[in-house]
Amino acid sequence: MNQRLTDAKSIYLQISQMIETDILRGILLEEERVPSTNELAKLYTINPATAAKGVNLLVDEGILYKKRGIGMFVATGATEAIRRRRKQEFYEVRLQELLHEAQSLGITKDELIAQINK
Amino acid sequence: MSKLVCENLTKAYGTKTVLENLQLTLESGKIYGLIGRNGAGKTTMLSIMSNQNPATSGRVTLDGENIWENRKALDRICFSRELNISAESGLAGYTVKNYLKTAASYYVHWDRAMADRLLEIFELKQKAKLGKLSKGMLSMVTIIVALASKAEFTFLDEPVAGLDVVAREQFYQLLLDEYAETGRTFVISTHIIEEAANVMEEVIILDKGKILLERNTQALVDSARYVTGLQEQVDGATGGLECHHAEVMGRSKGVTVLLREDEDLNPGFDVTVQPVNLQKIFVALCGEEVRT
Repeated sequence: MNQRLTDAKSIYLQISQMIETDILRGILLEEERVPSTNELAKLYTINPATAAKGVNLLVDEGILYKKRGIGMFVATGATEAIRRRRKQEFYEVRLQELLHEAQSLGITKDELIAQINK
Repeated sequence: MSKLVCENLTKAYGTKTVLENLQLTLESGKIYGLIGRNGAGKTTMLSIMSNQNPATSGRVTLDGENIWENRKALDRICFSRELNISAESGLAGYTVKNYLKTAASYYVHWDRAMADRLLEIFELKQKAKLGKLSKGMLSMVTIIVALASKAEFTFLDEPVAGLDVVAREQFYQLLLDEYAETGRTFVISTHIIEEAANVMEEVIILDKGKILLERNTQALVDSARYVTGLQEQVDGATGGLECHHAEVMGRSKGVTVLLREDEDLNPGFDVTVQPVNLQKIFVALCGEEVRT
């Protein structure tokens, strides 16, 4: 939770991604409570409604779950689920961007593979 | 849910119209940011919405009741103005303590313990005369009045003016604490837009006495794109969309686009698309067009 917010994308997405990253790194453990929306709001100096939107995104994806009256918790299996989804994003988004850039620079597939194998 | 509503609010001083037919609804439980250029009418609007200044026409209602000289409604509203220490205001001789005492007698829900705690946090001396305080210290006094008033609808006019960056951060933290605890409604005007952007749930942009826009801040920022590239490509990508503040330099063009829901840039053009922060959106909407 110690990363900084940037201008580059929506604050609520950054909040949900930071929580995800903390789960991947073992900073937040499965079945452990995550900071409340008010705690997140204060930590990042953001509106609690924005923090809640980021947290709810993870609830919708089953990464976090709500215990009534206690707070939000990391779901069992969350680490694996995040890894799986990020892997998919890596192939579908980042790799495509990389291939697009390679294409516009006239880098061939063989040259690219040679670079990866170096 | 309570609602504070401006209905067809107009304010004119002689022949000069400061606010023109304003329509605005503030819902309880939100933090609103009020932004606008100097002279846009922000202070006038807030003063009318708190019964400190009569409207030329139109009215302000709280839960359907006109607030004008309505004590019951005004007990729920606080407008903490920027302190003006000119000779005419007669405030220069007041000590911080006396000024807060006056405020305490005016606001029925005044929280003395909170005012004392904030004085300590800001390291303000109670015996200091307002006339001897720096601009930043005067802002601290207005912040104390606003927070300790405990009014359901609280307006702060330029609360961070003159505050150093640490004190500004401190103010937003105190504000979020109070908001988390009470869910009071705040309207905050500021020129330091980016620092406040993430704190305001809704943003109100006032330009030349008119409300240009009132929207969820994150939704507005999410809808904005800065599109650059070869002029024809940019025109192709943005044709038919809401474009602002086009900048043309030689063959290249840059333009800020506000997308409506379900809208996207026209596909198939070679352009660079970047996000736009609230401050840049504000400049795109209220700044002059630049052509070089």
